[in-house]
Amino acid sequence: MTLGIFLSLSNNLQHTAQELSQNLTAVFFLEKDLSDNEKSAISDKLQNSTLVFDVQFVSALDALEKFQGKFPDLQDILENLDKNPFPPSFEVTFKEDDLSPEDIFAFIEQIQSTEQVSDVQFNQEWIERMYSLSRLARAVGYFLGGILVLASFFIISNIIKLNVFSRKDEIEILRLSGATNMFIRIPFLMEGTILGVFGGALSLFLLFILIEIFPVYLGSSLGVLNDLISFRFLSLTQSVFLVFACAAIGFFGSLSSLSRFLKV
Amino acid sequence: MIELYGISKQYQKPNWALDDITLHIEKGDFWFVTGPSGAGKTTLLQIIFREIIPTQGQIVIDGRNILKIPDHKIYQLRRTMGIVFQNFRLLFHKKVFDNVAVVLQILGIPQKEQRKKVLNALRMVNLHHKMWDFPSQLSYGEQQRVAIARAIVNNPKIILADEPTGNLDTELAIEIMSLFRAVNEQGSTVIICTHDRELIRNFGKKILFLYKGKLLRKEEL
Repeated sequence: MTLGIFLSLSNNLQHTAQELSQNLTAVFFLEKDLSDNEKSAISDKLQNSTLVFDVQFVSALDALEKFQGKFPDLQDILENLDKNPFPPSFEVTFKEDDLSPEDIFAFIEQIQSTEQVSDVQFNQEWIERMYSLSRLARAVGYFLGGILVLASFFIISNIIKLNVFSRKDEIEILRLSGATNMFIRIPFLMEGTILGVFGGALSLFLLFILIEIFPVYLGSSLGVLNDLISFRFLSLTQSVFLVFACAAIGFFGSLSSLSRFLKV
Repeated sequence: MIELYGISKQYQKPNWALDDITLHIEKGDFWFVTGPSGAGKTTLLQIIFREIIPTQGQIVIDGRNILKIPDHKIYQLRRTMGIVFQNFRLLFHKKVFDNVAVVLQILGIPQKEQRKKVLNALRMVNLHHKMWDFPSQLSYGEQQRVAIARAIVNNPKIILADEPTGNLDTELAIEIMSLFRAVNEQGSTVIICTHDRELIRNFGKKILFLYKGKLLRKEEL
């Protein structure tokens, strides 16, 4: 159950971090009066990058119209100017994949060093924070997950150990009657595996109640938290993984306890 | 059938639980091993079914040096033996039938045949009418008879019994001993450890006397 909760928490945290870092964009402002060839050369450079998802060209006129649309109150200022103050630009949207900030910064720097690019606008701090958050979420997930896997392993191992101990006489009789090690071990291994599967399934069920049904009752009490982090249930792959992982923990937990406890 | 060559066992220095035992037991023999407590009777039996490994010596059963059998194959040796303990070692949460059938389940014998064999074994010890009882519902003597039925159900070549009548009165002890005699007459080699002199006087034809781990003498009447 605890493993499921942490898997889900880590999952949600990572997802939120990814969502926040979506629409990661940079705007490359160009020098004025560039020829079409020069513009298309830069456009090609941007589009050919593996980091880039989309490239939009915003001409000086488009930029002006955008400004006018967004800030109609500042219309007067623009009218007093002789010429359009806005430079043409390329708005680049990066892929949502798991890109490292270093790659993005290197790419931005490379484009910025081009003569035709006068300036670049992007939020370096935001990118770094989002990636740190994402990395932290994953690391916490792995760390706690690892500890919990170990804890489950030892718990199951101890349950089986107690079980083996309570059935010591029966095992002794089986051994002396000519049972193979496998014959003696199979019931315990099955028990461990079944315990694991049931544990995993129960954890999924409780997690489902916690994530899907609880917020319905709590509703508005969760308030901003509910809006900010929309709790998600584990994906099908993760659910199957959880059950299989629990089964494996059960199996290997029993195996370890048996090999330590059963002599020939 | 069972050949022991210079078998010694030391659990803790400087005492020897068994000291240089050389012995040949023929197929179909019925041997008593006797001696006071601490003479090494149980150790001798444990070495024969390879529960423990001797410190020195070799042991050959049916032409095979059992000390050279790898651990994971030791079950093959034990399947040729039936072992009876003083404290019965029954499964008290299982019925009499299942207590006896467990040996056949290990061998993967079909259920129909299991039923037949268990019934035969229980008939031999005269407990077939109690096969659906739990051991706790039986008397001491009956419980020991269940343990004997379990030991003989698969017609083992060798029956080893460690103080099988230790907890029983003389009358019951004679009854149990008659059962071993009957099993022996069917061809199994029987080795019984006991310090019950009365029993040995009545049933013993071949007797090994152990004292402080040494084979004091061997009598064949």
